[in-house]
This record gives sequence, structure tokens and C-alpha cells, in this order.
Amino acid sequence: MFSTGFKYFFGVTVLSVVALIMSLALFEKLALAGVAISFLIAVGALLAGLSAFSSDGTTRDANTSTSDLTTQSIWPLVSAIGVVFLALGLVTSSIVFFGGVVVLLAALSEWLVQAWSERASTDLAHNAAARKRLLNPIEFPVLAAVGLGVVIFSFSRIMLTVNKSTGAILFIVAGALVLVAGVIFAIKPNMKRSVGAAICVLGALGIVAGGVASAVSGEREELVEAAAEGHFTHAECGPEESKYYDKLSEGTLSLRSSVSATVVYQDGELIALIQGLAEPQKSLTVGRSIPTNIIFRNATEGEFRLVAHLGGSKSADKATDGESHADETCTQLVAPGAEQSLTLKIAKSSSVENVYYLYIAGADEKKIELVVP
Amino acid sequence: MSRRQFDNWLVALIASVRVVVQKVFKPLIIAGGISALSASCATNAPQDTWQPKGPNSKLIDDLQQPVFAVAGIIGLIVAVAVVYTMIKYRDRGQPIPEQTHGKPALEITLTIIPALILAVVSVFTFGAIFKLAKTDDTEMVINVTGQQWWWEYDYPVQNDFGITQPIITSGQLVMPVGTKVLLRETSRDVIHSYWIPALNGKRDAVPGRIHTLRLEADEPGIYAGQCTEFCGLSHANMRMEAVALSKEDFAKWVANQQAPYVAPAKDTLAKQGEEVFLNQCVRCHQVNGLTRADGTPAIAAPDENVWSGAAPNLSHLMSRNTFAGAMFNLLSKQCRDEVWNASSDAVGAKYLAGVTEECLNQKDLRAWLRNAPEVKPMYANPADLAVSNGKYRGMPYLALSEDDINKLVAYLITLK
Repeated sequence: MFSTGFKYFFGVTVLSVVALIMSLALFEKLALAGVAISFLIAVGALLAGLSAFSSDGTTRDANTSTSDLTTQSIWPLVSAIGVVFLALGLVTSSIVFFGGVVVLLAALSEWLVQAWSERASTDLAHNAAARKRLLNPIEFPVLAAVGLGVVIFSFSRIMLTVNKSTGAILFIVAGALVLVAGVIFAIKPNMKRSVGAAICVLGALGIVAGGVASAVSGEREELVEAAAEGHFTHAECGPEESKYYDKLSEGTLSLRSSVSATVVYQDGELIALIQGLAEPQKSLTVGRSIPTNIIFRNATEGEFRLVAHLGGSKSADKATDGESHADETCTQLVAPGAEQSLTLKIAKSSSVENVYYLYIAGADEKKIELVVP
Repeated sequence: MSRRQFDNWLVALIASVRVVVQKVFKPLIIAGGISALSASCATNAPQDTWQPKGPNSKLIDDLQQPVFAVAGIIGLIVAVAVVYTMIKYRDRGQPIPEQTHGKPALEITLTIIPALILAVVSVFTFGAIFKLAKTDDTEMVINVTGQQWWWEYDYPVQNDFGITQPIITSGQLVMPVGTKVLLRETSRDVIHSYWIPALNGKRDAVPGRIHTLRLEADEPGIYAGQCTEFCGLSHANMRMEAVALSKEDFAKWVANQQAPYVAPAKDTLAKQGEEVFLNQCVRCHQVNGLTRADGTPAIAAPDENVWSGAAPNLSHLMSRNTFAGAMFNLLSKQCRDEVWNASSDAVGAKYLAGVTEECLNQKDLRAWLRNAPEVKPMYANPADLAVSNGKYRGMPYLALSEDDINKLVAYLITLK
């Protein structure tokens, strides 16, 4: 009576109505979600109507003649669920969205092949074989990749939990076990498949269980301390090398497309190169309250850091209490020929009393004015 | 309900829907189609993409005209074929026709023809894209920053154009004609999109990124635009205008923007308005050169009050024709029409005249000062500010008295 297409779009519509009702019940503000899901309902209903009107482009006779060859299919339902997750993901989270995309693509692929294979011939066994021949080369690697990913992720959790020495031993043991298993499979080619499968499954389950236990107990203390240390947050902006801040100094950049200016220290001069302006600049306009990326390029033979003076006093307060009250941020010590980025966000306009500038630590007279309009 | 009953119920439902569509929606669709066709014939359409006024938009236009024609013809053929097939071969209980599989000659033909069409289109499209992405021939740079729901323009120091100190303005982008201007776009809060249809295509303004857009106008004039990326409650009210001036007029505009602040004379209503401004408005709005009673500069702190961290700089406010994200006119309708309808020779002088007391659109300005969220939808309800840490998105209700509004209007009109 009703075509497959109609059932599918009707399913999408009904599930979307359910999603809308649930969203109304769960969320206080529903502007975007409401619009998105309402559109989905409208489109689903329209397509369901078109499918009913056109009977998916087939005739009643055609449906009747193939009905005894087809089996019940779960894929329309799975596809509908995928679509609903996709739509919900647009207004909730990207994980839900991509989950919906994956489910939808997988279900549509399975559905397409199933629909084709069931009409390939009148021989059901041949049809099933045709489906397997087409899909197994895709299904097996995908499932294997997912399984392998879970095992690798679990193993990484274990390695992050145990100390370095134990980690090395575990790695050796794991490698040895894989080698032993490989040797057994090689010298016993006639071994029962179930035994081989059991060895692999047990090994994988052991690693996954270890991974879960490790994830629960957390990373080893040394890593937790390193994460909490945050040495980038302890900017020391003097000319000398900071044992703490300059640890793991960066020398290369991938940032290129979103820089306000490239500040170059070369031949004793500090200049700013700005896209669109042909001449090197000695002042740089920085929009108020906008994160502004600057690249510092050290084109000299020595190691230097770029410092951004963002207000406060460098000398007056120092004279009274020995501490500099200047608000400053800086790059790490940059090696000759290397680059590093510096992100500024300045909330207040510059003025006579509120002067901002970039300078080279240890060569304070090399300055570029930061103008914040 | 049995399966058969359910099926019958669905059939009845579909039949009812079909009747509703035929009786109600059909006339509506026809009326809508006629309206859309009529609208496409409008001549007074400042945001018409088919009326390019600069070399960049002409480049796009030269590409889109032939592509649109080809795509339109193909689209029409496909649509007619689909509708014809759906109606002619719909299920009426007829026997299944002879089934065939594959017609290689037809399939290859129908693959090669679109591929060739797309290949030809892509050659010209890529050529246009690369030309529009050029930045090495730039003559002037203007930084453009979007935020909910207005655009800020700042002009870095460029001595060739007499800009010896940065200029900051909003609502209207002022540029010299015949000059290759490079906009460096970014955003302070969410993604916006900058589009002056007469001068170029659109370009997103994305927080943390700088996107460039070339603009060049052939003739002096005012060109309208609109934010084209949904950016929140007042997205539809986030407008902009590009004002192209002759190079001489642009130099005059630059000189005016760099002119020092002139405080109102003592014992005037405007002077009292300055005090109100210092007490109420300077929390967010900067006026360059404005000082407090003790002589210290009045530095605005929008970062403490506004979610985006910025509010329009109101220096030389009355040299602009719009306010509130170009949603409202500072000029009365008659005066505005005189500027907009001026010939390209006269538009510069009329624009540079700014807003005089006679031409000031007091009604909208007073309504804005009285209760801004009432005239422009913004997240200004204190109950809704929890998600933004108590900060406003747009101008809040300030509970100004009518007396304060009178003083403020008298002060703002002095910001020439």
C-alpha cells in the first residue's frame, strides 16, 4: 500500500515531531532548534506526500511482483534516526551531528545495497552472496579499524597511567605476546579458527579492561603536575633566558592566515609588516577587545624575545618597591631565524596616559607603537 | 486500530491534505510567484546584485550573467522533465512497463555534457576568485570589525591619504573613489558577513581570523549593504553603507575626522549634555579628546559592560548619516533623500555637510536614547544576561529623564 520512500519520510517526520516535543520539554529557549526541527518536519512531510503521490516511481504491480523476494529492512528506521540526530546535532553539539552523519551514511549504504541485492535475481542465496561480496570488503575493514582504535586508545591510557619504567616493560611484554601469537598462528596453520579468535579477543579485552581501569585511576602524577605547571602562563619577559618559561621553546609556526602583522627584528631595527601596506610600519593599529595575532620574526644572529607593554609603569613603581608593575606579555626567547606568535587583547583605548608598545627585551629603545583607537 | 484501518486513515489524511493544497495553497503559491516576479522588476533596489558599481562587482557580474543563463535553462529543462514525468507516469494502477537496464550511449552523453559545462564555468570562476583575492595592488587599508549588531571601521595611519593618526568610525564606511581599498575583516563576538552588493561579493568576519575583501567604487555615491550571516536577534538590523567620495572630498573628510575635540561653550545646554554623557555614556562610548572635570581623558570601558567589548566611538558622530548599526538615520527623511538622490558630482558636498540642527532626525534619536532595546531588539533584559556574565549585547535601557535626553541631543549635535 505504502511505498518504502513514504515510510522513510513519514518516519523522519514522526521522529522529528517527537524531537520537537522533547526539545520543547527540555530546553527553555528553542529559537534555533525549533526553527530547524520545524523545517525538518515540513520537508519530511512534503517528501512523504510526494512519495505517496508518485509511489516512489514504481507501479503497484511492480511492488506486488517483488514483495515475495524482499525481507524486512531495518535500514529505513536507522536512516531516519540518523537524520534526526543530524538535525538535532546542528543545534546541540557537533558530536551528535557527526554521529548522525555517520549513522545516516552507513544506513543509506547498507539500504542501497540491500535493496539492489534483493532484486538481483530470484535466487535468495545468490542475492545474499551478492550483498556480502559487495559490502563485506567495506564492513570488515571499518569494523576492524573501529576495534583497533578502541584497543590502541585503551593501550595509550595504560601507558599514561603507569610510570616510565613499567611502561617500557609493558611495551616489551605486549610486543613479545604479539610475536608469540604470530608464531603460534604460523606454526599451527590448521589451528581451529575459534581458538585463534579466542586468543585475539582475550588479548583485546585484556587491553580494553586495562585501559578502562587506567582511565578511572587517572594519569600518572608526573603528567598531572606537568599539565598543572603551565609554564607558558609564567611569562618572564626579561632579556635573559628563563629556565622555566623558555622550556620547550617554539621555533616554527603554522599560523599564517590570521595575523595582524609580522614584526621583524633585523639589523638593529624593529619594524611591522602589514598586509596591504607596502611600507614597513613603526606603529600598529590594534582593535579594542579583539584578539590580535602578531608574528615575531627574529632575523638577527642573537636570541631575542618580543615584549608587549600593555600599560602600567616600568620604572616609577620599581623605584619605590623594587618591583615592576608594568602589564606585559611576551614571546619566549626566539632563536636566530625563528618565529613565534604573540596574541594581544587590549580592552582600553590608548591615550597619553595609556601607552602601549612592542619592544625587544634588552633593547628597550626598539619600539613599535600599538595604537588602540 | 488494525493495519487496514490505519492505512485507510492515512489515505484519508493525504486526500484531505491534497484538497487543502489545491484549494488554499495553490492560489497563495501563484500569488507569491507573481509578487516575486514583480519584485524582481524593482528599479529602486540599493542592494541589487545586478547593478555593479565597481570593478570587483563587475568581475562577479560578468561571470554570473552567463552562468545564470546557462544554469537557468538547464534548471528549467530538468524541472519541466521531472514534473512531466511525475504526472504522466504516476501510479494509476497501470501494468508495469518493460524494464530495461542501462543505455551506455545516453549515460555517457549525459555525463560528458554537464562535465564540459562545469569545466568551462570553473575555468572562469577560478580566474575570478584569484583576481578577487589579490592584495598586492592595495592602495588603502581599512580594518573592519563586526559585532552584535554594528560595524566598526578603523583607518590605520596612511600618510598618502593624509591619515596621520588612526581614524575610527562606524555605520558608514567612507572611501575614496577609484582607489583599491582592502578591508581587513574580523569580529569581536560571533560570525558576521560583510556585503556591499554594488562593490563586491560577501566575506565572513570571523572572530580570531582576518579575512580580506577588495572594494573599489567607480563613482561617488552611497552604496547600501547588509550583514549576511545570521548573528543573533538583530541580525536583520545590522546594516552598513559605503560612502564613496572624490579624492578631494575624502581628504576633507579625513581632515575633519582628525580635527581635535571642541568642547561645548560654558553655560549652554550642550555643556550640560556633555556632563550627562560623562556620567552615563562614557562607560561604553568613547569621544576622542573628551576630558573629565579634573582634566583626565575620559576613556570608555565597554569591555566591562558589553559582551563584544566595544561600543561605537562617537567622535564626529554628526559627520555620519546613520546610527545604531545604520538601522536609523541621523538625517530626517527629506535631508537624507537629498544626499542619496544627489548626482555623483554633488553627493560629496552634501555628505560632508553632515547633520545640521534642521536636518537632525530627532524623533528616532530621542526614541533611541529613551529606550534603545524597545526600538532595536537586543539582549538587554537583565534577566537574560546570566549567559553573558551580566554584559549587554547592544545598548541597554538607561532610564534617562526627558531633561537628560534634551541635554544629550544638544551635546551630540555638537560632535561634528
